Amino acid sequence: MTESTQYINKLLDNLFRHESGKLVAVLTRIFGPANIALAEDVVQDAMMEAVTNWTYSGIPDNPTGWLYMVAKNKAINLVNREQFKNNNSSELLHFLQSQWTATPLLDNLFTEKEIQDDQLRMIFTCCHPSISADSQVALTLKTLCGFSIAEIARAFITNTENINKRLVRARETIRVNKISFEIPGGKELELRIDTVAEIIYLLFNEGYSASSGKDLIRYELCEEAIGLAELIIGHPAIQNKSTVLALLALMQLNTSRFRARQDADGNILTLEHQDRSLWNLTLMESGFSNLEKSLAKNQVSVYHLLAAISAYHCAAKNYKSTDWISILSLYDNLIQLDKSPLVLLNRAIALSKVSGADKAIEELDKIKETVPLISYYLFYSTQASLYMELRQFKNAAPLLRKAIELAPLDAEKMLLENKLSDCLKK
Amino acid sequence: MKEFMLLVRTEGDHLAAMSAEEQQKHVQKIGNYIGKLMQEGKLKGAQPLDMAGKMVSGNKGVFKDGPFTETKEVIVGYFHILANNLDEAVDIAKANPVFDAGMASIEVRPIKTMEGIN
Repeated sequence: MTESTQYINKLLDNLFRHESGKLVAVLTRIFGPANIALAEDVVQDAMMEAVTNWTYSGIPDNPTGWLYMVAKNKAINLVNREQFKNNNSSELLHFLQSQWTATPLLDNLFTEKEIQDDQLRMIFTCCHPSISADSQVALTLKTLCGFSIAEIARAFITNTENINKRLVRARETIRVNKISFEIPGGKELELRIDTVAEIIYLLFNEGYSASSGKDLIRYELCEEAIGLAELIIGHPAIQNKSTVLALLALMQLNTSRFRARQDADGNILTLEHQDRSLWNLTLMESGFSNLEKSLAKNQVSVYHLLAAISAYHCAAKNYKSTDWISILSLYDNLIQLDKSPLVLLNRAIALSKVSGADKAIEELDKIKETVPLISYYLFYSTQASLYMELRQFKNAAPLLRKAIELAPLDAEKMLLENKLSDCLKK
Repeated sequence: MKEFMLLVRTEGDHLAAMSAEEQQKHVQKIGNYIGKLMQEGKLKGAQPLDMAGKMVSGNKGVFKDGPFTETKEVIVGYFHILANNLDEAVDIAKANPVFDAGMASIEVRPIKTMEGIN
């Protein structure tokens, strides 16, 4: 590969990430949501054409404009094919089939405001409640974030075939259920925005919670989730932004600590051992400010509480000065809304800081039955840590062994192994 | 809003006399005009007509399908628009860039719509 093709590929990579979601959204508006795959193909085609053309003729002055022009031309050619004309009809298509109106229409559709509208329409279409959650996430990443199937597979630690199936299912659901490409209004908007928030948070957690060594793609997932939330907040159609603002704050505050969570050898570092000077203060500031804005409506959601908890961690100069009393009271509120094992486990940690490890162990014993298998390793490792705090190393060691056996990721196993060897030295 | 049909007539092919550059400028002007109508939600459709065809005249007994002549005024296209009233429709017609290109006329006609059946 020559230097210039390398440069073109890099530029294109960047451009693709940035523009493909916009282009797919606008083209989906034109072709109709039943033809999302077609929109994706046209964008892919335009990108391929850019590679070929720019390699020979050099990079144009305005690469984005060039790309838009190619996409527009391809769209016109496509909707004027007999086959397409016979199966589709809409006012937009009617305009695209007339020499007088095609170009003015496309120019109108490719303005910044219209693109933003279409991206929001796309979010609501991808996160339609009739599509299953894992398909919603895959489709959102593919269409809005410009992720390739391989990238999505890597992010979800699964194979491309699996992701492809989810995408096919999602597109079929849209087609069969005739899901419309629009921003819902009134009461429906309130309901649907909650689903969208859930999907964005799911997407974020895919990136944030696990650490599989493929850090780059995981950080990008977090960035994309943040980008989607910002897109929603920036749109005038969304009146009540409180929930999404809180979600955005939560994601920004957590992401601000992203780089400090692993040491150079890939070992996971818990809050206690993180170098706080590595925390991203700019992101943290945005998180604080969005959390404040989210409180204006006097509305409380899971995201508000989680963001507030994260904010207390961020605000602490060091681990020792963490305000555990406030954090515990937030967890007490949180379990009213969400009694999931992860929340209960985290609450137990806060409780141990406030009332002592023995109290926390008691609490954990109470919830043991309700913890689903997948979270067992966390349950055991949390209990082990509490026993270690009480210097009951004999009780801690077997729990750690169980946790190591069940931990899904190598980095987590390593963290637990280190704890176990500490434990055995005592 | 009422629907109107704007039938555009020019003397021959008004684009033919223009240089390539003038043509491009003219097309751009029409594009802006149409784009604005769309943004205002006033355009239902607009299509140019090919400068070829036939003229069918007579009645069922005696048809004549003579050649279509470009020399006289010919319909070059139509705009199907929405306007509050005839005056507004006329104003929209007057703003059409076709008048910048030479002699032209636009026939502004309200479209008869379906009325309720009792």
